[in-house]
Amino acid sequence: MDVDDEDSPPLLVEVEPSSNDNLEESKPLKVPITIVTGYLGAGKTTLMNYILTEQHGKKIAVILNEFGDSVDIEKSLTINKGGEQVEEWLEVGNGCICCSVKDSGVNAIESLMEKKGAFDYILLETTGLADPGNLAPLFWVDEGLGSTIYLDGIVTLVDAKNILKSLDEPVQETVQHEEHDDHHGPVLTTAHLQISHADVVVINKADLVSETELLAVQERVQAINGLAKLHVTVQGQVPHLEGFLLDLHAYDDVGTLDVSSKGHSHLDPSIATVAINVPVLRVDQLPNLDAWLRSILWDSKVPAPDHGSLVEGNDHDTIEVHRLKARLPLSNGEVKIVQGVREVFEILDSPESTNSIDDVAGKIILIGRHLVDKRFEESFLNSIR
Amino acid sequence: MASEGEAKRKCSGADCDNDAGSLQCPTCLKLGIKDSFFCSQECFKRNWGTHKALHKSQNSGLYDPFPTFAYTGPLRPFYPLSEHREVPKAIKHPDYWRDGIPHSERTSDGRNKIYILDKEAQAGMRKVCRLAREVLDIAAAAAKPGVTTDYIDEIVHKACIERDSYPSPLNYGHFPKSVCTSPNEVICHGIPDKRVLVDGDILNIDVTLYHGGYHGDLNETYYIGEKAKADPDSVRVVEAARECLDAAIKLVKPGTLFREYGNVIEKHAKSKNCSVIKAYCGHGINTLFHGAPNIPHYAKNKAVGAAKEGMCFTIEPMIALGTGRDKTWPDNWTSVTQDGKRTAQFEHTLLVTADGVEILTARFPDSPGGPIGMPVVETNGETKV
Repeated sequence: MDVDDEDSPPLLVEVEPSSNDNLEESKPLKVPITIVTGYLGAGKTTLMNYILTEQHGKKIAVILNEFGDSVDIEKSLTINKGGEQVEEWLEVGNGCICCSVKDSGVNAIESLMEKKGAFDYILLETTGLADPGNLAPLFWVDEGLGSTIYLDGIVTLVDAKNILKSLDEPVQETVQHEEHDDHHGPVLTTAHLQISHADVVVINKADLVSETELLAVQERVQAINGLAKLHVTVQGQVPHLEGFLLDLHAYDDVGTLDVSSKGHSHLDPSIATVAINVPVLRVDQLPNLDAWLRSILWDSKVPAPDHGSLVEGNDHDTIEVHRLKARLPLSNGEVKIVQGVREVFEILDSPESTNSIDDVAGKIILIGRHLVDKRFEESFLNSIR
Repeated sequence: MASEGEAKRKCSGADCDNDAGSLQCPTCLKLGIKDSFFCSQECFKRNWGTHKALHKSQNSGLYDPFPTFAYTGPLRPFYPLSEHREVPKAIKHPDYWRDGIPHSERTSDGRNKIYILDKEAQAGMRKVCRLAREVLDIAAAAAKPGVTTDYIDEIVHKACIERDSYPSPLNYGHFPKSVCTSPNEVICHGIPDKRVLVDGDILNIDVTLYHGGYHGDLNETYYIGEKAKADPDSVRVVEAARECLDAAIKLVKPGTLFREYGNVIEKHAKSKNCSVIKAYCGHGINTLFHGAPNIPHYAKNKAVGAAKEGMCFTIEPMIALGTGRDKTWPDNWTSVTQDGKRTAQFEHTLLVTADGVEILTARFPDSPGGPIGMPVVETNGETKV
C-alpha cells in the first residue's frame, strides 16, 4: 500500500468523539408512534395534514407503510417541522440479520433519530387494506430493550357514509388475515380488523349522513369495539389532539375500561366486545391468570368453566382475540393491568392502588371474533381457583 | 463530552507547544498509529517532512478501513480482508450462497412458523451439529497468541469442506467470511481479519455448518494465553456467560415458555455483576439458519409460545462486564459494547425431547476450552498486567 509518497500532506481529519460517557442505563427519551389506519377515502391524508398543521411547532415524522408489513418500511419518510417537509430515507440494515430481536423498521427509525435528533411524534400511515394487528406487535417493543420509540396507539378512520357497507360486504379485496379464511362464519372484512384493533375511531365525513344514519354507525362501531374512544368529525378535525389522537398511552394505561356498548354485542355478526367481571385476586392466583391468558390468546382455547365440560367450538368457531385490556385489583392493595394485542400480552403493575379507586372489582375486556356466549366468566373463575 | 485526557492533548508538531484538538493525521489513523494529533493544518504541513517518516517505519500494509469511526474500545479492524474463499460446487449450498439473501427465511412461514422435526429431520440436525462441534474444536485448538482471526477462518473453512459441509455464515446477508470471530469487546458477528491474537484476549468463535439440508450452530468463548485466565474480569464475564447458558438449558423441556429463559439468564448475569446484551437473541434452526421462535436473553420479555417436542432452537446469551447496549461498526456486522468493555457468549443448538432436551452441539470429552476457576489475585503488592 503506498500511503504517502506524495510531497504534500493530506488534510487532517476530525475524529468523532467516543461516546462512552454517561450512557449507562440513562432512561432514553421515548417518542410515541401512532398507527393510523382506514380505508382509502376515509380521509387519512386529510387527517395527517390537519395534525401537521395543528402541531406545526412539533417535529413529526410521517411514515407510509405500503404493504401492512414492516419489512417494507424501507421507503422514505417525511419529517415535518414548522410547515417544512424533509424527505429522509430509512436505512433498514441487512434486513433481519440473524437473531436481532428488534424489528428492522423499529431499528431504522431509531437510527434515523440518532442522526437527526428525536421527533416529537411519529405517525405510521398504513394502506387502506392493512391489518393493524400485524403491525402493532412489532412496535410494541419490550421495555427491556430500551427502545427510543413506543407504541402509543392505533387510530382508525372510518367514512360515515360507506362504513356500514364496508362491514357487511367484503369488497373486491381479499382479507389478508392469516389462517382464518373460513367460509362458514359471518364475513370478516378489513374494516372489522381496523376497528377491532383501534384505540380511537374517528368517524369522518359526518356531514354526509343523516343523524339517524350517524347513530347507526356509532352503535355498530361501539358494538365491535366497546373500548375505543369515538370522535365524530367533518374533514378529520379533532379539537384537541393530545389525548384524543396523540399521547393516547393506549399500551400502558388501561383507563377505566367502561364498555360503552352494553347490550349491543350482537349488533355486529363478526366481532364483539366482551366484558368479564372478576373478583379481587390474591397474589398467588397470578400464575393462574397468566395460564388462562395464554390459553385464550396463544392457543385460542377457553379453559373449561367447570369439571367435565369443555367450551370447544368446532373449527370455524375458534375464538380469536384482537385486543385485550384488564384492570385487576389484588387483595394486597396493588392493582395489575393487562395489555394484549393478538397473541402478545403483558401483565403490568398499575401505578394506582385499591385505596385510590372507588371500584374495587376487576374487569377483563376482550375484543375479537367468536367471543359471544363462550362463558368466559365461569371459565376464568374456575381457572384461577 | 471530551474527557480530561483529551483536553490536555498536545500537538505532535516538533516546534509546537499548542494543545491539540481532535484533528488527526489520516494516514496515522489508517496505520493504527495512535495519538497523532495536530493543532492545525498549517502546523501539520510544517511538520510533514519529518512526520511522514513515521508512516514508513510503521507501514505493514495493514490499515483501519474506518479511521474516523468512533470506536468504543481499543479494538480495531485490520484490513485488507483475505480473498474470498470458495466452496466446491459438489457441496450442497444454502439458498443465499450467491446473492446473500436467505430467501427461504424471508417467507411468511420462515419468519413465523415453528417447525416440528420428525425423526429423519432430527437425525439430520444431530449429524450437522456433531460436525459443527468438530469444526469448532479444531478452530479452538488453533486459537493461540500470535495467529490472526483470518487464520482461524481458513481452518474453519477447510474443516467444513472436509466434512462435505458449507460454512453457513459465508455470504449470509453478505457476511464475507466462513466463521464469526469476536474478540474482547465484540459481542458477536466479528469478521475474521488480519489482527493477531495476543496473550490476554478472550475470543468467541461462532461456527455454523450446513450439511444434508440442515444448519448446526454453536459458539464458545476461549481464553487466549495464560494472561486471559489470570484476569479476574475476563474470567468473570466468560464464566458468567457459560453458566447463563447452562442454567437456561436446564429449563428446556416441552411446555417451557420461550420468555422464561431470559428471566433465568438475566438473574444469573446480575448475580455476577454482569449485564445481558439485549439486541440479539436465540433462534429457531433447522433447514433455515435463523427462523422462529426468537429466544430473548433478557428478563420480562413478551415472547409468545412454549417448547414442544421436536423443536430445534439455539440459546446463546451474550453477557457483558458493563453496559448491555450495542453499537455496530461501519462494516454493518461487528457488534461491540457501547462502553468498550468485554463481553462473552456461549451457544448450543438444542432439540426438545419428550421429557427434556438433547444438546445437539454438546462438548466432547476432549473438546478444548471448558470452565476455569477465578484466578487467585496476588496480594504481594505486585499488580497484574
